[in-house]
Amino acid sequence: MKEIVVDVSDAGEVRIETRGFTGKACLKESQFLKDLLGKETYQQLTPAYYVNQKQQTKKYLTLCG
Amino acid sequence: MSHISKIELEIKSLEDLKAACKELGLQFCDGQDTYRWYENTRGIDPASLPEDIKEQSRCDHAIKVPGARYEIGIVKQDDHYELRWDDYSTGGLVKKIGENAGLLKQAYTVQRIKKEARIKGYRINQKKVEHGIRLVLSA
Repeated sequence: MKEIVVDVSDAGEVRIETRGFTGKACLKESQFLKDLLGKETYQQLTPAYYVNQKQQTKKYLTLCG
Repeated sequence: MSHISKIELEIKSLEDLKAACKELGLQFCDGQDTYRWYENTRGIDPASLPEDIKEQSRCDHAIKVPGARYEIGIVKQDDHYELRWDDYSTGGLVKKIGENAGLLKQAYTVQRIKKEARIKGYRINQKKVEHGIRLVLSA
């Protein structure tokens, strides 16, 4: 499931986390929040970001014998 | 998960700031051009205040906080608004709006996100978490 999680602390700090996206879609999907609120001061890309959306998923295992 | 960002807040919408004030029980004063703080509440005739104090007291709008002696000034800066306020304890603002006006910034941020996310068709789930508020937007 694709989600954008926004934590707004009692000190007014904003942290945005995207979940369930692969590739650059997460950046595009959450850009409106960054434009809305101010300047991005930190960004950490997670392994899912580097997953190529066109990559085929292996549906079976090669058996040797 | 695919990425994590941290944002430095800029106040860009007076409408959402007004809504945040309403939610916190604060009074938004449209067009009030000075705000109360330490230097201009010492009993000195406002006309006799030094020019630099007069300048620092100027604002475009102001926020009155019930129970607090001082006020928050809102000053337009290019494409955003700056909050100016005196956190000296006798002014009573920290108790009401938190350190660095954190609770006011929080209420503004939540308002702004919820309004825009609704327009974009997201489902919004809001919950109180330790030290803050969490919004989960799902398509």
